[in-house]
Amino acid sequence: MDRLNARLGYLTALPITALLLLSFVAPLVVVAAFSIMPQKVFSLAHLPDFSAYGEILRQGYWRSLIWSLGMAIAATAILFVISWPLAFAMAKVYRRFTLVLTVGVVMTLFVSENIRLFGWVLTLMKGGLIEGYLRSWGFAGFDGLLYNVPVIVFGLVYVYFPFMLFPLAQGIAMVPDDAREAAVDLGASRWQLLREVELPLAAPGIVIGCLLCFVLSAGAIAESKLLGGQAVIVMGDEVETAFTYGQNWPLGAALAMVLIAIIGAVALFSVSRVDLDAMFGGRK
Amino acid sequence: MRPNVLEASAPAAIKAPARTILTIAGLEKTFDDFTALHGIDLHVQDGEFLTIVGPSGSGKTTLIRLLVGMETPTSGSIWLRDQRIDELPPNKRPTCMVFQSLALFPHRTVGENIEFPLKIRGTPAAERKARALELLTLLRLPPDYYSKRIQQCSGGERQRVALARALAFDPEILFFDEPLSALDYRLRKTLEKELKDLHARTGKTFIYITHSLEEAMVMSDRIAIMRAGRFEQIATPDEIYARPVSRFVAGFMGEVNLFDVTADGTDMAGSGLVIRPGLAAETGLKGPGTLVVRPEAVRFLDFGEAADFQIQGVLHAEYALGSRLQYEIDLADDRKGTVEVLREQRITGKPGTDVRLGWDLSSCHLIKGA
Amino acid sequence: MKPTAVTRALLLGYGILVLAILYLPIVAVGFASVSKARYLTFPIRRYAFDWYGEAIASPTVSDLLATSLRVAAIVTVISMVAGFFGALAYARYQWRYRRLFQKLILLPIFFPQTVLGLALLIWFNAIGVTPTWKTAVIAHLVWIGPIATLVIAIRAYSFDPALEEAARDMGCTTWSVMREVTIPLLMPGVISAGLFAFLLSWGNFPLSLFTTGADSTLPEWLYAKMVSGYSPLVPTVGMLSVAASALLLAIGLTLPALLRLLRGQTTD
Repeated sequence: MDRLNARLGYLTALPITALLLLSFVAPLVVVAAFSIMPQKVFSLAHLPDFSAYGEILRQGYWRSLIWSLGMAIAATAILFVISWPLAFAMAKVYRRFTLVLTVGVVMTLFVSENIRLFGWVLTLMKGGLIEGYLRSWGFAGFDGLLYNVPVIVFGLVYVYFPFMLFPLAQGIAMVPDDAREAAVDLGASRWQLLREVELPLAAPGIVIGCLLCFVLSAGAIAESKLLGGQAVIVMGDEVETAFTYGQNWPLGAALAMVLIAIIGAVALFSVSRVDLDAMFGGRK
Repeated sequence: MRPNVLEASAPAAIKAPARTILTIAGLEKTFDDFTALHGIDLHVQDGEFLTIVGPSGSGKTTLIRLLVGMETPTSGSIWLRDQRIDELPPNKRPTCMVFQSLALFPHRTVGENIEFPLKIRGTPAAERKARALELLTLLRLPPDYYSKRIQQCSGGERQRVALARALAFDPEILFFDEPLSALDYRLRKTLEKELKDLHARTGKTFIYITHSLEEAMVMSDRIAIMRAGRFEQIATPDEIYARPVSRFVAGFMGEVNLFDVTADGTDMAGSGLVIRPGLAAETGLKGPGTLVVRPEAVRFLDFGEAADFQIQGVLHAEYALGSRLQYEIDLADDRKGTVEVLREQRITGKPGTDVRLGWDLSSCHLIKGA
Repeated sequence: MKPTAVTRALLLGYGILVLAILYLPIVAVGFASVSKARYLTFPIRRYAFDWYGEAIASPTVSDLLATSLRVAAIVTVISMVAGFFGALAYARYQWRYRRLFQKLILLPIFFPQTVLGLALLIWFNAIGVTPTWKTAVIAHLVWIGPIATLVIAIRAYSFDPALEEAARDMGCTTWSVMREVTIPLLMPGVISAGLFAFLLSWGNFPLSLFTTGADSTLPEWLYAKMVSGYSPLVPTVGMLSVAASALLLAIGLTLPALLRLLRGQTTD
């Protein structure tokens, strides 16, 4: 039985593993290889050098990196704070409404994110849903709420909200009710209950949620382009520009590698600390 | 944290003897359209080991959840000495509970679990550790368990850790919600005795709920039997064993023979029973009643031998119960009878043999009324 | 211990507020799509459905629809099959590299999609493949395949391995165990994974951006128009895309009930 299990394990893992090796791992290897090519070449048949990485330091690309990471951290922190009460309610308080909320939130995922962001443009722009109606009701008009850093962070929060909410709710559902009751019975206040029992026991969900939001926000482009205008240029944007208008693949590849390295380090570190079986299957 | 005094003292009507630690007055709990507790009253003495026994759905779990504060009563009140506590949240009550699941914190070591209530109160770390080690000793766990993970402990060890954590809280009353129900028979028996011993050593008030009257008998000073949200009988184990107030209580104690009887003042009659004339006068029974006859009180009658009560039956099967033997007897009207004898008293008859059973008034109990 | 009625009410209010905010931009797009004006300003003065007629008649839009549909359909089928097997390897069988495999599955989901799209573009270029909608299928699969795997894995965790063992004990071969026990039990998971796969592919933009070559999907076209200059068709086509998702979702959610109804009638 064990040997059969092992054999079936290898066999069933094969299709998706092959897919990911060919179209996920291999492309990353190629990007890594391009990042050590000389500037502005379009093939890998050159002697490696690290000029692209030097270019990153010289051209001040680190500024975009800081903006991307900074906004990702801000969006993740805001998401954690606004999602916790809702995730808690979904796992422990709501009854039917949990299903309503789940379906309602999942459905927004199926609408292309740029349509939803465009909706925010229509809502927040001068002459948009908010400003236009306020003005027509006799309030003073204003310049619209777009094209600044806070609105980009808002866009990130909006788009990646489900990626925080569901892992958190899953994590909180893993906190046994009797452990919470026991803590209160033993004298814990609401705050002590949160710090001593709920946060540590929901940690797997917190880690996954924060990680997803951080990683996706750090690589996001559409929010800054559609809502932010030219307010800041984010890392993903720099990568895209280097590949397209810049026609400098090694530079783009090196920029991508920097982003991948940071995100990969954070992701691997966090994922290795979470029991994936417990997270998805609730197996004890 | 100690509870606030919500009222100066308990109303005189429910004021109880000086040593009463817990008073429950008219406690009622309804969920939607279901009434789990029908206005019950109870006094618990300081230092007492009281066990609340009932089948599932009898309201015992609701009662204990009200007592620790996980639920709020629909009406009625709970008093700890002179303080009304039913309005207090669980973290403000000086009582605590050992959960059925134990509810040990899986992300904490044994030591950290035991220290939890002390940490909550802000006790310094060194003092906490000293107390935790003391409690480990009290519960006969080796000191190196302090840094073990909960997952490394066996069922019995976890039980002790949960007890140590509850004792670290130093509660006025320690509640137990069937903490032994998940353990195997032998371990349960050992822990029952340890718990009784721990009660004696700590002198604390223990309130224990279980569905096993057998478990209650071993440990308790007093037993309260619950049925459908009310107390059926509250008495010492001996009293409950010898003088159950109802068929329900009598039937709770495992196998027991019950016979419906009626009496007219002098004579008693019951279906299939041959009863010594004039017996009703000795018992004072008038009208219907129920005879409670323990299997060990019944004997096989030899030819010509007499007893106060006799009944005819057919031997169905013999079961070995360690030092005793149990016989199942088919009686008239599809009823069954149970007889238990010592091994030395094994009878020679095979299944299918006619037998005559008998017992005396002194060895059975009569419940008066329908 | 239980939350008070006030807490409950507050949390419920909060949940409703969050839902309202989530849908606000979609409502804004919906309003914009029925504005008669060429340059949109709120409040809308005159409503008209003209743009819908124009969008449906437009050959560009029908090309976009066809491409998006083709990509999504192929992605769905492959995701369901690969995800079914992948989920068994993820959740059910105990094998040596399972933990590693689990991480490999999660990694693409955690990956910035735009960077992934670019990496694929370079990769296709390096191996001499010209990007078309077919390469977009591959790109979508890198992200959606793992998600389908996880969706089915959740179902696979909840079923008791003893069921398969019992079937084997009664003489089933490996294949017949799969056919008689595993597939029927995982089917609800496979169907919801298919629904997810289709909808995520249908709405995906960052992966398509660099990998479709000369072809274009609906979200790509919308993005290009949003960035490069407003077209009154943008809200309209956006709403058509949303409507298509909603329709599919409605079918997906009611289909199991319909099937059960039909099956119930035939067996009775």
